[in-house]
Amino acid sequence: MKLLCVDSELVYREIISLCAKNENVIVKAVDCYEDAIKSFIDFAPDIVTLDVIIKGGSGFDLVKKLKSLSGNRFVPMIFLTSHATDSVMDKCFKYGADDFIPKPFNEVLFNIRLKTHIRHVELMKEMYRKNKALTYYQTMIEREHDMAHNVLDHIQTRSEKNSEHVVITRLSAASFNGDLALVKTRPDGARLVFVGDFTGHGLPASIGALPVMHAFFDAVDDLLDVNQLASQLNRILFSILPDYMFCAGYLILMTPHGDITYWGGGMPHAFIRRANNKIDYLQSNHMPLGILPVDEFEADLQCNTLNNSDTLIIVSDGVLELKNCQDEMLGCDQVRTLISECYAEKSLVLAQEKIEKKLTDYRGESVQLDDITLVALRNACPQQ
Amino acid sequence: MVTITIVGSFDFSLFNDFREAYSEINNYKIYIIDMSMVEYLDSAALGMLLSMRNAINADSNIQLKGANSFIKNILMISRFDKRFEIQ
Repeated sequence: MKLLCVDSELVYREIISLCAKNENVIVKAVDCYEDAIKSFIDFAPDIVTLDVIIKGGSGFDLVKKLKSLSGNRFVPMIFLTSHATDSVMDKCFKYGADDFIPKPFNEVLFNIRLKTHIRHVELMKEMYRKNKALTYYQTMIEREHDMAHNVLDHIQTRSEKNSEHVVITRLSAASFNGDLALVKTRPDGARLVFVGDFTGHGLPASIGALPVMHAFFDAVDDLLDVNQLASQLNRILFSILPDYMFCAGYLILMTPHGDITYWGGGMPHAFIRRANNKIDYLQSNHMPLGILPVDEFEADLQCNTLNNSDTLIIVSDGVLELKNCQDEMLGCDQVRTLISECYAEKSLVLAQEKIEKKLTDYRGESVQLDDITLVALRNACPQQ
Repeated sequence: MVTITIVGSFDFSLFNDFREAYSEINNYKIYIIDMSMVEYLDSAALGMLLSMRNAINADSNIQLKGANSFIKNILMISRFDKRFEIQ
């Protein structure tokens, strides 16, 4: 801790120096304006004491100058003066003083005030250090989120383009949470779909996505059965993810005739909007991928059928938990109503645009907390 | 028997505190996680529960107690009844 004492009277320079040294403070004492400025720059004190009247200038100008020289650094400036009128005191604070002690002063009082200022300086330094560390980590995390976004965006480019049979909507949240949607038509004409939701945020959430993508596209080429692919994805994620991370997901295979076989773990219901506006559900009845060891994993599948003009809609929990300005969640019932309305539209692409707009309208000005993924499929069989 | 009570939002911010809560006490037969004061639970919390399941003896019982219907629904969707007793 360093103190710069600016006083034109030798006796005060000596008293102040003595008091400060007793508090283990290193002191530099000067007697004029010019030396004060010079020492402030060279000596870089943590605390300054000064008088209103100084040789070569005014204390008001000096305090103003020193405050501007300290920039972001907090350097308390304590006036010690015999001109102890209210108007002088007021002027001192207006020009930037942090404390005011009338001369002649009581040494005990001065010591107490000095200690208080030393504590403040230490607190400010500590706060500055912590703030710097936090800013550093925040920047790092933002970079990680961007990177995770890039990794996942890159993966999705291998997925099938939107058409009248498949549309994928992904609306990314500010804090990315690892939704993944992959759709690809196999050489035999059947369509393989994976919609997954990784636990966690940022880069860790995307770590599992790369091997999942590889296994998915290999399964498309090799016509691998859905139950075998489910087991394989579970084995991969079980081995690479820590025990507190997993991936909820649906794996769905749909033949050109609309026969569906699927495996689901940890996902909300998926919807089938029948042509007559009845809603049926796909249910995920397993634990998510990456939790159970190989010998406990259950790969049994369920079935359904998608007839002409039916629509299968898979949503991530980001859709169900979407909040409006009143902080109310959209919820399953309202999602069902939206689906029922929007997918009455003949064109799947237009239907998807409708529901995207409804979701955006519902959210309004509120912040989107979660990634939103919405995949819709229709039967590839030509209309009869 | 030992009870761990969670209050407010059960999410990633409790990662270290939750782990600390059970890591010192690993020789009980029954662990009760009191969730009656939990307002929200995210997938990170599910991960933390799984991590606890792995950390303590396999023959010890973990009971998830007092969850509201929203949270119970999340637990059931992920079939946590396979590893925990949901009450």
